[in-house]
Amino acid sequence: MVGVWALVASVVVVAVVGITRHLRDGRVRTRDEEDVVELPEPVRALLDPTTPVTLVQLSTTFCAPCRHTRVVLADLAARTEGLRHVELDVTNLPDVVAGMGVRRAPTTVALDVRGTELLRVSGVPKRDALLTALRPFLPVPNG
Amino acid sequence: MPRDSPPRDSPVDPRGPRFSAWITTAVLAAVLLTGSWRLLAAQAVLFGLCAFVSLRLNPWGHLYRFAVQPRIRPTAEREEAAPLRFAQGVGFAFALVGTVGYATGLTALGVVATSAALVAALLNAALGLCLGCEVYLLLRRFTPVLARPQ
Repeated sequence: MVGVWALVASVVVVAVVGITRHLRDGRVRTRDEEDVVELPEPVRALLDPTTPVTLVQLSTTFCAPCRHTRVVLADLAARTEGLRHVELDVTNLPDVVAGMGVRRAPTTVALDVRGTELLRVSGVPKRDALLTALRPFLPVPNG
Repeated sequence: MPRDSPPRDSPVDPRGPRFSAWITTAVLAAVLLTGSWRLLAAQAVLFGLCAFVSLRLNPWGHLYRFAVQPRIRPTAEREEAAPLRFAQGVGFAFALVGTVGYATGLTALGVVATSAALVAALLNAALGLCLGCEVYLLLRRFTPVLARPQ
């Protein structure tokens, strides 16, 4: 009988996790804190002075959604003027993880040319919502 | 965990492990319902073989390749085998503790350990969520020893 309840409880736990993740994943967040964080050097090195917005995807080795995120962002960057996508494997870079305040892989951080954080997304980004949020920072398509 | 085991598995179609995880979920659910330490011991052996010898010893992987993979769309996606084997090692630890619990009459221990393994297997099967992935960053952050590349 105990086993039956344990089984039910386990399924409930998984269901709660699933619903929570579904609600939180891919949501675009702007950084709450006003304090300017010092960008860790490995991240700063990825910036490109000629591209208005760089999407830095922080990934780990142990990570299935990182692959899906890579596909979504690489495609988005290829089709969007002024946007580029780079991936950084932070599995062996705990300082970067701490410095960026990242708790989950993948976390994607949008940075401008000076390295100011514009927004961030945990999990697989929702393409349209991300593009809408980035629009103000991107060059207006001419024509 | 599998770091010092010499044979390296090649990357796998990520849908295979999720298929296996469904079967593992069913086995662990059956363990909870029956309280059979023998069944849990068999699952522990399977976890152990995958973690410490090779993922190719997983019978569900073969079932996936022969019965499921030909019927679904091919994918170029490949997942590294090392994290999967790490996860199997974690499963092995829980299954072992659970087996000891059930076999020695510490049923509560058996139930708790089996439930933990079941939650992990179901998270993997239903949500594609690898717990290692989510916990890994935290581990790296708070355990300086792990942070050093070997």
